[in-house]
Amino acid sequence: MTAGAPARLAAHTVAAVLSGRSGPGGPFDPAELARLDEAEEFPAAACAELDAAGLPDWYVPARFGGALAELPDVMAVMRATARRDLTVAIAHGKTFLGSVSVWVAGSADQAAALASAVRSGGIVSWGLTERDHGSDLMAGAVTATRHGDGWVLDGAKWLINNATRADLMCVLARTEPGGGPRGFSVFLADLRDPRPGTVRRTPKLRTHGIRGADISGVEFTGAAAVLVGDEGAGIEITLKALQLTRTTCTVLSLGAGDHAVAIAAEFLRERVLGRRRLSDVPRMRRVLGEAATGVLLAEAAAVVAARSAHTLPDELSVTSALVKAFVPTAVEQSIEQLAELMGTRGFLTADYRHGEFAKLERDHRIVGLFDGSTLVNRASLITQFPRLARRNALDVTTTVCLAEPLPTLDTARLVLVSRTGNAIVSGLSSALAELPAEFADLADALLRESGAVHAELARHRPVARAVPTAAFRLAERYELLFAAAAAVHVWVANPASRWERGCWLRACLTLALTRLGVPVDGADDAYEDVAAAVLAHGAVSLLDGGRA
Amino acid sequence: MTADISTPTVESIGAWLTERVAEYVDAPKESIASDVPFGEYGLDSVAAFTVCTDIEDHLGLVLEPTVLWDHPTIDALSAFLVGELNTAR
Repeated sequence: MTAGAPARLAAHTVAAVLSGRSGPGGPFDPAELARLDEAEEFPAAACAELDAAGLPDWYVPARFGGALAELPDVMAVMRATARRDLTVAIAHGKTFLGSVSVWVAGSADQAAALASAVRSGGIVSWGLTERDHGSDLMAGAVTATRHGDGWVLDGAKWLINNATRADLMCVLARTEPGGGPRGFSVFLADLRDPRPGTVRRTPKLRTHGIRGADISGVEFTGAAAVLVGDEGAGIEITLKALQLTRTTCTVLSLGAGDHAVAIAAEFLRERVLGRRRLSDVPRMRRVLGEAATGVLLAEAAAVVAARSAHTLPDELSVTSALVKAFVPTAVEQSIEQLAELMGTRGFLTADYRHGEFAKLERDHRIVGLFDGSTLVNRASLITQFPRLARRNALDVTTTVCLAEPLPTLDTARLVLVSRTGNAIVSGLSSALAELPAEFADLADALLRESGAVHAELARHRPVARAVPTAAFRLAERYELLFAAAAAVHVWVANPASRWERGCWLRACLTLALTRLGVPVDGADDAYEDVAAAVLAHGAVSLLDGGRA
Repeated sequence: MTADISTPTVESIGAWLTERVAEYVDAPKESIASDVPFGEYGLDSVAAFTVCTDIEDHLGLVLEPTVLWDHPTIDALSAFLVGELNTAR
């Protein structure tokens, strides 16, 4: 049994359970999920099903008694759910995201108590944002003050996933009136049986996507809470937790991408135009192939980032920002291409498979926003440009060999700035040197782009105010370079991933170069190979021998 | 003209830091007071990481990225850095 095998089994088990419960009247029946979405009702039966399937075990690290040994484990399980329904995956997966601060900074007793609550189905939420303060963590006005031996919270958290349903909430609160980077701390509040009048849930908000999710708020009035980690360490703990959750969240996009590609492939196979099936029309196949390639490129980036949390935790400030900016953006582009292909905005397909496609398209837009928007993540990358300008020579073998067991995730090694830049991008040229001659043109083009991006990074002069647009574009180019590098590393190090003669790498590099602004010959053929694989198998993946 | 840091003292490090911060927030160095928190010049908590990188490169030190959070003025940071440099030598 190879490393990660239990998680793959779990993901398969979850997929099988969901598949078995998606028949008419079942909690994962697409018609039922569409009805709940329409009614803006929480998918409670589906979430209960996930509890029964043992998902919460994967939200708890093995050292606290859960099943989570490697970050890719929980990601595989969440992706299996996201592939069915993104609202459900976001609603249920929130417990993992909400717990991470305690896994990072909590005491052994706190972690053990939370582990037991999560494993018995407790819902954990994450109280970061407040009304009128956007995504600026340090603008928060909720306060925590000492009260006897403990602390009490005052103020309102808003736009919080599962704020109404939560049993427990991790709350970032101000512990110095003046705020500042050492003026906040993390607290765990038990919302199950509060002193009367101390906790008031505020109503669910109406959202454009994930309409059934419980996006609501909570008002604290002297509510009891316990300190997690050191007083004044709240911003630091939260930024470290976000490195892990931003990496994890990428699977929500991958699941949505898998779902979109599978629906589009089925649509093309079923529909006939004149005397031809749409799946035989080259123009249609080209769009399908390119969109599926976007998901594969995103997958390469996400998988390598997830593994790097174990092997290169001190670079995760860069890696997590790269993938949280890149993956939702790339998958969004794929979904848009497929939406256009299927004409979902037209009347013809509005009801196709209960409007599943339109729903996932709406639901997915939220992924680019939560746990730090694309803009926030790019801004974080920009502050690290001076380090990214330099290449390091760190060994990435374990990171990119997908069957290698990973070292234990050491959250004590997370830091807020990567001193070494990024090892995956740094190792691009040596990985390219391993490719067969047929890739020579693509490899040369990538090396030239890498040289240009690094030269521009070295020229970048940091400024505190009004970050120039060019810097954001440079961050975007570095993301593409990272994704391309991840794809090359995975291809080179994992012969098992090279289904259909490894055609996906040509397609991925073609897509990355095109988005970097470099014209590539033979793009049609590259995407056609991927389209053929998708039409033969449904969704495709770099993992598990090609089956997503 | 760059401040001389060949002999690290609180004064020489402070002068060099003042130039860095002034350059970074795009203000004349005369306007940067050594006892006013960096945040008041528009150097936010994340931008502080970039300054930290700069300090590491120029002084050859390995620092916690949060060093400006814990030593939030020129005076406090200079005193801390002189201590680090003396330990490192």
